[in-house]
Amino acid sequence: MQGGWFRGYAFLYLAFLYAPIVLLPIFAFNDATVIAFPLSGFTTKWFAKLWVEPALHDALKNSLIIALCTSVFATALGVFAARASTRYVFPAKAGIMGMIMLPLVLPEIILAVALLVVLLGLGVPLSIFTVIAGHVLVCTPFAIAILSASFQSLDKSLEEAAYDLGETPLSTFRLIILPLVMPGIISSLLITFTISLDEFIMAFFLAGTETTLPVYIFSQFRFPQAVPVIMALGTILVLLSIALLTFAEYFRRRGIARTGGKDTGGFL
Amino acid sequence: MTSDPQKTMIEFQDVHKYYGDYHALRGITATIRAGEFFSLLGPSGCGKTTLLRTIAGFEGISSGVVMIDGKSMAQVPANQRPTNMVFQSYAIFPHLTVEQNVGFGLRKDARPPADKARAVAEALEMVGLRGFGARAAHALSGGQRQRVALARALILKPKVLLLDEPLSALDKKMREQMQMELIKLQRQVGITFILVTHDQEEALVMSDRIAVMFDGEIAQLADPETLYRRPNSRKVADFIGTMNFLPARIVSESGDKVEVDAMGFGHVTLDSAQITGAAGEGGSVVGFRPETLTILFDGQTATDRESLAVVDEVVYYGDMTYYDIRLDGTDKPMRLSMRNVFGRPVLDIGTRTRVAWSPGALVMFR
Repeated sequence: MQGGWFRGYAFLYLAFLYAPIVLLPIFAFNDATVIAFPLSGFTTKWFAKLWVEPALHDALKNSLIIALCTSVFATALGVFAARASTRYVFPAKAGIMGMIMLPLVLPEIILAVALLVVLLGLGVPLSIFTVIAGHVLVCTPFAIAILSASFQSLDKSLEEAAYDLGETPLSTFRLIILPLVMPGIISSLLITFTISLDEFIMAFFLAGTETTLPVYIFSQFRFPQAVPVIMALGTILVLLSIALLTFAEYFRRRGIARTGGKDTGGFL
Repeated sequence: MTSDPQKTMIEFQDVHKYYGDYHALRGITATIRAGEFFSLLGPSGCGKTTLLRTIAGFEGISSGVVMIDGKSMAQVPANQRPTNMVFQSYAIFPHLTVEQNVGFGLRKDARPPADKARAVAEALEMVGLRGFGARAAHALSGGQRQRVALARALILKPKVLLLDEPLSALDKKMREQMQMELIKLQRQVGITFILVTHDQEEALVMSDRIAVMFDGEIAQLADPETLYRRPNSRKVADFIGTMNFLPARIVSESGDKVEVDAMGFGHVTLDSAQITGAAGEGGSVVGFRPETLTILFDGQTATDRESLAVVDEVVYYGDMTYYDIRLDGTDKPMRLSMRNVFGRPVLDIGTRTRVAWSPGALVMFR
């Protein structure tokens, strides 16, 4: 029974991926500071504790500002790069695009350390702005990957047709190109937002005295009594991430359906 | 049909186009008349689409002049030219409705919205899409997209409508139907239509005149009948329809009469007008179309000349039968077509038969 083996393998694989995440909500609602079975009772007090933690609120505020700015900048840069790479021919195009996409595979810690050295060398004070810079660097390749797909599926003669019918290049972009790639833009905003929100290494190195949410969570693990609170926070973050990614995928698919194209994959 | 048929609408003067080192258009000089249905015909890569795009303004030219209605287009960008295009992919804006697509070009029009709506309705009516206005564009079939593209281009009443292989994505039945509709539409609106196609049959059916292009040059510019009956080179003859070739040589010339010795046909006297052009590689040949040879059945006699032949291959098409025959004294099979008439048998392979032909139907490439 070959099918049985494959089914078992698939089950184990999925369990390995998702069982730890399923443990989060279980211990978030467990009435004990020790993370161990057997469970001792149901409580929502760990969630209540989240509300009275000023350090957490600061970290959350920082993270949201960083994620918002990062997603806007990275997506804007992504639009330029995706447009350039799909429409124009220029010297060393493949090389340049490769360099832009490289942060996707470079060890992030190397990037973070390099960036830190440069920033300190230039005398730039570390703040949430330096974190935003680092996150834009990491997120832009993702934005380009998502947006390239949108721009690629755009038939060049659509632009020519609009131009032929009397529009200027600018009004063509506004009336034809932008509406057609808008689902990609929304999808890119959501995904880069999510990536920035839970990015740790860059934030850890570049935030200076500020903290972001992932850095705060990491720091809290030193205190055993804080662990269930982190579980509660983690539960909320997982739900939020799933919601954002679902939105992003919804917009990506709607974009494809709207232009009558074929689905050629994506991040989900 | 208000336009004067002899008026020139488009004029190319020694137009060259280079892409880097590649010489895409090599000195195009031609005129297209107002109100005519003109086709640019040639194999892919011959420069026909590039030439069409130089009229639209999507493609700049390296040297030469493109004039539309007496005005040089050198400084006129595509969005200000009196031309509109139907794209090969139709380029229907997928996020807009049929109505919004058709009315797209009217955006900068100062007319009141009610007038614009009427113009859109008329344009849809003209292409047979009445009542389709509110539909989403991406939900249309290929033939319907084609019609929307036509209506969208014609609503601006351009001086010239450019059609870039507009029928190539349709199936055969639909294509033939659209050919007839396009002809009718062109007569109705009287606008100059310029069609790019690689389908010689389509060009013959639809056009008033055709420019046959090879390698960035116009090889022959003529009406369909001249192109078919008097191709000016063996290359054009080969591209348009089927033509058989047999080696031949000129024996003597006197006045407008030419004595020719052709393999399989023997001695023939041709009019000098039948000596049409270059043979290219392989030397002088006479050429003839499959339908100019006729198989003679029992009791039939030739009105002109007659030869003996052997049937090599038979292809039955229902209304037509195609034979490959070898004329006595030749070893190359020649294509011959016969309309099937009730009661007349289809010959078997290997049958010896008589064929009728006429020197007047031959053309010679020397």
